[in-house]
Amino acid sequence: MAVAESIRDRASTPLSSEAAADFLFMEARLLDERRFEEWRELFTDDGYYWVPARPDQPNPLDEVSIFYDDKDLMETRIKRLRHPRVHAQIPHTRTAHLVTNVLLEPDVPPEAEALVSSKLLVATYRQDQQDVYAGDCRHALRREGGLWRIVWKKVVLINCDAMLKSLFIPF
Amino acid sequence: MTGIRELVKPDRVHRSVYLDESIFEMEMERIYGRAWIYVGHASQVPEPGDFLTTRIGRQPVVLSRHEDGEIYVLFNRCGHRGAVVCNEAHGNARHFRCCYHGWTFHLNGLIKAVPLQAGYSRDVDFDDPSLGMVRVPRTDTHRGFVFASLAPDGPTLAEYLGPMTRKIDDICDRSPAGEVEVTGGVHRYEFPGNWKAQMENLNDLYHVPHSHESTTSGGRQFRRTGTATGSRLTRKDGSPISFWDRTGVWAFDGGHSYCGRMPDAGPVSREEHPDYVAALEARLGPERAAEVLDADWHNAIIYPNLGLQSMAQHIRVIRPISVDRTEVLVYPMKLRDAPDVLNRTVIRYLNVTHAAASLIQTDDLEAFGRLQRGLPADGSEWVFLGRGLGAEQPLEDDFGYRSEGTHELPLRNQYREWLSYMGEGAN
Repeated sequence: MAVAESIRDRASTPLSSEAAADFLFMEARLLDERRFEEWRELFTDDGYYWVPARPDQPNPLDEVSIFYDDKDLMETRIKRLRHPRVHAQIPHTRTAHLVTNVLLEPDVPPEAEALVSSKLLVATYRQDQQDVYAGDCRHALRREGGLWRIVWKKVVLINCDAMLKSLFIPF
Repeated sequence: MTGIRELVKPDRVHRSVYLDESIFEMEMERIYGRAWIYVGHASQVPEPGDFLTTRIGRQPVVLSRHEDGEIYVLFNRCGHRGAVVCNEAHGNARHFRCCYHGWTFHLNGLIKAVPLQAGYSRDVDFDDPSLGMVRVPRTDTHRGFVFASLAPDGPTLAEYLGPMTRKIDDICDRSPAGEVEVTGGVHRYEFPGNWKAQMENLNDLYHVPHSHESTTSGGRQFRRTGTATGSRLTRKDGSPISFWDRTGVWAFDGGHSYCGRMPDAGPVSREEHPDYVAALEARLGPERAAEVLDADWHNAIIYPNLGLQSMAQHIRVIRPISVDRTEVLVYPMKLRDAPDVLNRTVIRYLNVTHAAASLIQTDDLEAFGRLQRGLPADGSEWVFLGRGLGAEQPLEDDFGYRSEGTHELPLRNQYREWLSYMGEGAN
């Protein structure tokens, strides 16, 4: 079942916190099930995914980020993950995304119709190595064609300025 | 263990240089304890009271700007009981105060105050620098790049850098103010391998089409320049391996080296940025301006812990942790007074190439980890670095050598220097 379809019926009304949580849960499932192309399709054409490299980083333009992907870069990233000789992902990383503390935020940015906050816990596993990442997540959502889409998603990891291991799967 | 001199042959090195903990300890003492080590950039501590913490080898140090405006590099160690004093990555402070007994130090390392001083004998000299946060033996800078040496004697920084000075200059001179600013954040990551694997990789053009195939597939190389909204990983056709040979590598005394420009690196266009180009020409003259706008090199290694990239302007610092674990920091350099779009393009580009989640660097880190896991396997105790041995051509202008791009000249050159540090006094 496509994520967008799962909440299609609700897209005509203001986003409820239940629908917001469903949307985030389904998004997380797409990543865990490696349905990266479908995940990318959740974003609006001008959408982006941002993981800052330090807490309180004001913008992704003047300082480096762990991820700052527009849809073009997402496509390149996904093609790389699908490449038969993506050496650093043979074998590939398994993930479990846990989404919780979902809230509708009152201060919706002008480019969006809803701002959803959540907490994220992602366990990753590859070649006998398991790691856990945790952070605060914001989704700015907008309705397009009767579907909710991601205008931007920002994940601030609690260890974003730490010495990090290689990362492959979006949080 | 075999004698140190037995570990390095003209075309190979013994695997123990990557695996043996006692050799790592010796490297920290003999290489990181003697060489000029890049510590940080003056623009990271612009105001009196500013400081940042880092390491020289594994020794914690503070780079600080004292109220006299001067930069100091201090061991990050209280003169009393030896605790780390500055516990933050960076900040601004009127003084440094130890958490343990409250000894307080000026930003130049000298004691400012000691609690209950009357309890000490009058013979104790609290002006003695050795009771303060001790300054490292030598500190020097070139265009804001701060280096320090734990050895009281040795070549000057200028002698040490030699022809690599010009590489730092090439980047700084692309700024209309002649200065770079290290204010674009940092990519910070680790890999489960030996620090030398990273240093060897920087001017190893042999690996590029293979390691990075999933991003540069089909013999295509992604563009290193960007659009107005930032760098995108778009592709263009044509970079067979013979291209990488034509690129060339250059190697010098001191373990330093650089490689030629990348296939798609082009000069900043006069049409797009007329004021910027005019400002550079006014400052440098047209000839030098053209030279720095279209740098003829890509990666420069200042052995043992610093890498610089020209057009993708960044500083890469290698910080060894243990024989099989290494930290890397990648700092974009912003060209002061250059158009924002140029600096922002570099930042966007470095996310793609050097973030912990990058599409490029992660391939290299995978390879470094696999070296560390593969080398203990028996069959051969040697690592073969013989590609292009004997093909080196001496340079006319500088004392050094050039070879084809995929030749392993820079790697052998690093081991020549490694041996001169490590072999001193050894058999």
